[in-house]
Amino acid sequence: MKNWIWLFLLLCAALGVSLFTGVRSISLDQALQAFIAPDNTDPVHVALLYVRFPRVIAGLVCGAALGAAGMAMQALTRNPLADPGILGVNAGAAFAVTIGALLAGRADGALLAFLAFPGAAAASVAVFALGGGLRGNASPVRLTLTGAALSALLVSVVTALVLMRGETLEVVRFWVVGSLAEARTRPLLVMSIGAVAGGAVLLAVATKLEALALGETLSRGLGTRPRQVQAAVLVAVTLLTGAAVAIAGPIAFLGLMVPPIARRIAGASLRPGILASAMLGAAVLLLADVAGRLLFAPAEIQAGIMTALIGGPVFVLLARRLSPGAIA
Amino acid sequence: MNRQFLLIFLLLAAASLSLALGQVSVGPAALWNGLTGGDGAGALTVQILRGPRVATALLVGAAFGLSGSIFQSLLRNPLASPDVMGFSAGSGLAILGALTINLAIPMPLIASAGGLLTAILVLALARPARGHNPLEGAPAVTIVLVGIGIGFTAAAISSFLMTRLTGPQAAEAQRWLAGSLAARDWSHVLQLALIGAVLVIVLLPQIRNLRLLELGSELATGLGANVKRARLGLAATAVLLAAAAVAIAGPIAFVALMAPPLGARIARTADVGGRLLAAALTGAIIVMLADLVARASLPGLQLPIGVMTGILGAPYLLWLLSREIERGEL
Repeated sequence: MKNWIWLFLLLCAALGVSLFTGVRSISLDQALQAFIAPDNTDPVHVALLYVRFPRVIAGLVCGAALGAAGMAMQALTRNPLADPGILGVNAGAAFAVTIGALLAGRADGALLAFLAFPGAAAASVAVFALGGGLRGNASPVRLTLTGAALSALLVSVVTALVLMRGETLEVVRFWVVGSLAEARTRPLLVMSIGAVAGGAVLLAVATKLEALALGETLSRGLGTRPRQVQAAVLVAVTLLTGAAVAIAGPIAFLGLMVPPIARRIAGASLRPGILASAMLGAAVLLLADVAGRLLFAPAEIQAGIMTALIGGPVFVLLARRLSPGAIA
Repeated sequence: MNRQFLLIFLLLAAASLSLALGQVSVGPAALWNGLTGGDGAGALTVQILRGPRVATALLVGAAFGLSGSIFQSLLRNPLASPDVMGFSAGSGLAILGALTINLAIPMPLIASAGGLLTAILVLALARPARGHNPLEGAPAVTIVLVGIGIGFTAAAISSFLMTRLTGPQAAEAQRWLAGSLAARDWSHVLQLALIGAVLVIVLLPQIRNLRLLELGSELATGLGANVKRARLGLAATAVLLAAAAVAIAGPIAFVALMAPPLGARIARTADVGGRLLAAALTGAIIVMLADLVARASLPGLQLPIGVMTGILGAPYLLWLLSREIERGEL
């Protein structure tokens, strides 16, 4: 219980720091006033309501979605290296955005964000299926390598398209870096609903997913239908990661590094684990975003880069820890 | 039976095709004329435009093929190759870093330095913890996984740097990242040929070590090899070969992965030396043909060769994975 209180306080602190950090310093008074009696002529209110608030919400939704999705993915594949980013989501989103930019031109940012959703979803499902996930034997090595292979293929095609039409590069090179800065131009509301739906599905099937970890025969004996549970989890993960990518672009490694810590907070049980992972994911992403804003101010390091810088070493650490027998 | 001559025949055929075909095709007579030092438009096309490009392709492909073959024998794993293990991503990051801060060092040096540093980093990070049998070295899968992790991180930082560049700089970086053989002249060929020759001379006495290491480190030690030193020497040679190729042509994806198994299959050779030669020949053929398709398939547009090898190589990697999954080897 004590752990949960700390986690909650951490999340609140992250939300607060994110809301009050920026070029313009804002007092608590002004902030309250902006929410109670918004005044569209006051630049402080405008900055708070239309720039910082969407950014905080984007960080909250996106971080929570990726944290929960990472937890579910790792439970489903029984694989500590499973992460939406490694499963080709980033490359899938970049691919879809490139196609969109080729067809629609660079103007329509909201359309491109919507396109990232199916791209990310299709890539993650493809990697899961090709990596042997449908047969229930997706080992860490298989999934990671399949993700790397599919990413390489999609990146090749994206490069070809980008070089054919120079102006596409101008869209794509900004899209493939995950960031919360563009949150107000992205379809925040729709994607938040999608993420919440995905999270609800995940919480509903969590106990059945746990039964699946006992092995297929035993879980059938306990009254679970493995295929249906797997399909439900996959739909939920797709909704969650797709929404996150549409809001913030690809955020690397967040879904990889948050679940191990969340398991320490919430114990071995999956449903509280998913909740803890979502809260922690949101807190980490918001803090990473704040750190990126402060580190080289006024220049800004995107949140996706910050998470990659933290998450890359975590990935290497986890890969080293797998014993050769476990990865083979 | 050894069928290296089949590979050599294929190599000559690929070279002739590459010299003759393109946006302007050259007939057999003019091709011969150009090769024997004659005059005329067709001959000049062969000598000045395509000759250096095809020669570069040949050397780059051979270097990648050799490098991949050494890694795959050394780690006894068909997935090992400089690009899968993240070295190419390291080269790319170095290129982008240099472009961002306007570093006045030639791109080839930067690219190979980036690749080398990444290789050292990956191999050092994958080193097994204490208590592990020191003879065995790191398990191949750990090296590959660590390499993928480092590669993803390097790629993320690269895409960050991409957002920092101006439009034209970004376009240049994109061309370098994909790997390209456009506008290479005889000086490039000469550089790579010299470096390649030195590395091959360094490699030749080590082939015996590689043969011993393939038997497993305990047997190799019993037969008198210094396993640690042998492994280090071979890995360094392989990394340098890949770095030299990257320096001239950029990180062309998947050649080092595909060439060794294809070469061994075509040449039907099981000996280490034969496999190395077959991998070099096959790498050269792959790069020449991929470059031919990249520059001649779409009129008015020169695709970088790395795009072609990526489109061909990634499905190969996926196929390799699915086969290993079915056999239960992975």
